[in-house]
Amino acid sequence: MNLLDYVPGDSFLHRLNPVMKLLAAFLYGIACILCGSVLMELFYIVLMILISSFAGLQKRALRLTRNLLVLGLIMFLLQLLFVRTGDPLLVIGGFCVFTVGGLKSALLLSLRIVATMLPLMLLFAITRMNDLCGALVKRLHVPYRYAFIVTTAFRFVPLFTTEFHDIEDAQKSRGVEYDTGNIFHRIRLIVPLFVPLLISSMKKVDAGAMSAQLRGFNLRTVDSGYHEYPFHKEDAVCLVFLAAVLAAAVVSMVL
Amino acid sequence: MLKFDHVSYAYPGAAYTVNDLSFAIHPGEIVALIGSNGAGKSTVSRLANGLLRPDSGHVYVDGEDTGKVRTSAIAKKVGFLFQNPDRQICQNTVREEVAFGPQVQGMPEEEVRQRTEEMLETFELNGDWFPFTRSRGERQRIALASVLACKPKLVILDEPTTGLDYRECIRIMDYITGLNRETGLTVLMVSHDMELVQEYAKRVMVLTDGRLVGEGPTGQIMKDMSILEQAHVLPAQIPMLALRFGEQFSDVYTVEEMAEAIRREKRISSGAPIEKRAGTRNRKASKGKGGAQA
Amino acid sequence: MIACKDFSFCYKGQEHNALSNINLVIEDGDFVGITGNSGAGKSTLTYAFSGIVPHHFPGDFYGEVKVNGIDTVDVQTEELARFVGEVFQDIDSQMVSSEVEDELLFGLENFGLPHEQIGERLDEVLAMLQIQELRHREISSLSGGQKQKVAIASILAMQPEIIVLDEPTGELDPKSTIMIYEILKRLNEEFGKTIVVVEQKIMMLSQYAKRIVVLDEGKIVFNGKSGEIVEQQPLFDTLGISVPRVVRLGNQLKEEGLYDGAVPTDVDHAERMVKEVLGW
Repeated sequence: MNLLDYVPGDSFLHRLNPVMKLLAAFLYGIACILCGSVLMELFYIVLMILISSFAGLQKRALRLTRNLLVLGLIMFLLQLLFVRTGDPLLVIGGFCVFTVGGLKSALLLSLRIVATMLPLMLLFAITRMNDLCGALVKRLHVPYRYAFIVTTAFRFVPLFTTEFHDIEDAQKSRGVEYDTGNIFHRIRLIVPLFVPLLISSMKKVDAGAMSAQLRGFNLRTVDSGYHEYPFHKEDAVCLVFLAAVLAAAVVSMVL
Repeated sequence: MLKFDHVSYAYPGAAYTVNDLSFAIHPGEIVALIGSNGAGKSTVSRLANGLLRPDSGHVYVDGEDTGKVRTSAIAKKVGFLFQNPDRQICQNTVREEVAFGPQVQGMPEEEVRQRTEEMLETFELNGDWFPFTRSRGERQRIALASVLACKPKLVILDEPTTGLDYRECIRIMDYITGLNRETGLTVLMVSHDMELVQEYAKRVMVLTDGRLVGEGPTGQIMKDMSILEQAHVLPAQIPMLALRFGEQFSDVYTVEEMAEAIRREKRISSGAPIEKRAGTRNRKASKGKGGAQA
Repeated sequence: MIACKDFSFCYKGQEHNALSNINLVIEDGDFVGITGNSGAGKSTLTYAFSGIVPHHFPGDFYGEVKVNGIDTVDVQTEELARFVGEVFQDIDSQMVSSEVEDELLFGLENFGLPHEQIGERLDEVLAMLQIQELRHREISSLSGGQKQKVAIASILAMQPEIIVLDEPTGELDPKSTIMIYEILKRLNEEFGKTIVVVEQKIMMLSQYAKRIVVLDEGKIVFNGKSGEIVEQQPLFDTLGISVPRVVRLGNQLKEEGLYDGAVPTDVDHAERMVKEVLGW
């Protein structure tokens, strides 16, 4: 299962307007970036996991947190060793290994990475790509052409993955060795994978364009979309909640 | 040549697609594996060339357990013609394409060159062609030539009729059967086209829901309506017709045999001998006419 | 109605005509099968019906192709789409959405069907193909036969009079193939749609099509009632096109003077023929 896939559901979160969801993920991310306190940042992470649990996505959120913590750890170490503000905290043999300021900013940065990614994960998990683009076209009047490009790109990812595996199978079965360790050898063997993939993608894209054209793609206007995506009370509640999150972040920054 | 010993396989997260499957294919045989879409035919063929490894049981190719050797090592023995030749073709000229397989398998340069020219000639291909813009039938022939250039002992044909017109299909099957006669190439054809199976396969295995529900000489399976029904395939017309006429037609499978049997019955019933005439050939593959435009 | 008059087409950059001197009329309510070897120009012909040739694929266009009296060269493909809907060979790449309902909506939204009618139209199309239960499914989770039905439905939703399908059963097994042909038959008989289908399997055409057109190297070499194909065995043999075995048997018995009724195209009919010959 892909961590960015849509998970069907009918929770309070699923029912929010897609534009609101996008805005929410964006604002929550901003809040996490602005936030200046380690405790606050931790709180945001826990809060987001809790929110995810409303849509039954706590497991996915926890898994993503765990994966991101690995990345966070690397950033933590780098930051810890390079930021040299504040009093020395650990001194070995007269050499200051890290400082108070370094520890704080390292902790903050690594937590921030986790905290900003979680809302994005939730956005994709509770919003169908088509709904997101449809709502952007309807509500924000984003040109349909761009929305279509984005949805198509997302739709093609699994198609190309399958195609890629089939090509790999075809090449493997004529003896192309993808199972050897030699890196240089393997790089040379990329051609048999990418040439067929390129050709089949070109064919697919052309056929897709042809089919879209025949079905009146060029006639489409802002009002064409059948689904309306109205805003509801819940969206307003969500907005108020986000304002609070954002305000808290600003306060933590000032303090 | 190919042996499945109590093989089971399930795709991750799915129920068994192949369940406790055992069979053997002997050197020089032409065997068909039939069944509807989703019966597990593709899985069986991928197990046979090491693209998949069994969850339990063993698959032996030419005596070697596929679970113990690399896929690329199995590929030297098993050629696999996929439905879609475009997944394979990756070189700028047909000659380079045909030579590519033997090259990556480490065949000596001189032998590769010789083998490539041999294949180009056999399959009536021009080595200088740009492969990507050739017709579908030609691309399929290019793919087959590059598979056979590696001198496999067993070749697996995955739905050889799909996307090909009858003429091209017959052409490919005739090459394959020719090689079978001359070099003892073992052939496993995976198909749901019963007319094709009847014409070329000597033995048929019927797969339904990942299990073998029938196995036997082609003629016998062709007339086993209950098995064919289980496999959701359309029976070949003449055997089905013969089945409706009792014992006198028991060994009738082709148009000629049917006509011959009718003549015989007629002679018996009328009591008078009738002049025997040479039957027209059952099928004709006209060669050498390739269209250029899809 | 589609009418081709002295129509020839050569793709840009190609030396030979893909189609030469095509004269063909497809009447309303007909069920026409187009067959021939690959490279014979079958797909190009269907492209000409929907305007893809010459609007999407440029080239030299001679003669004329008229759809309901409109010259296809003069109008954009969108204009023609009101009369002709085309289902392409590669169904996977013609899908524009990830969910069935969105796929059906696409054309309706684009052509500006008033929104209050859309719901009804969706229900109608889903019912015509009996795929109501697929409405909210992800397209990637469907079987080949189901995808083909969705592709047909998405075209049907725009209510074209003529539906053109390019090898709709090429990748399907025999059971799904029959299912698709039964649907086409129903669309033709119950809903009065004109069906044009490109098909390799002569057996399916002889059973379902009313008329068969055979192309070879860009030219029409046969155009007649599907019942007449039984007399065309020599032509098919020269072209290397497979003829149903029972047709071969019938023709052979006729040639030998043992039988002189209608040549059978299916096994049931063949059984009656053999009984007649044997006097059983």
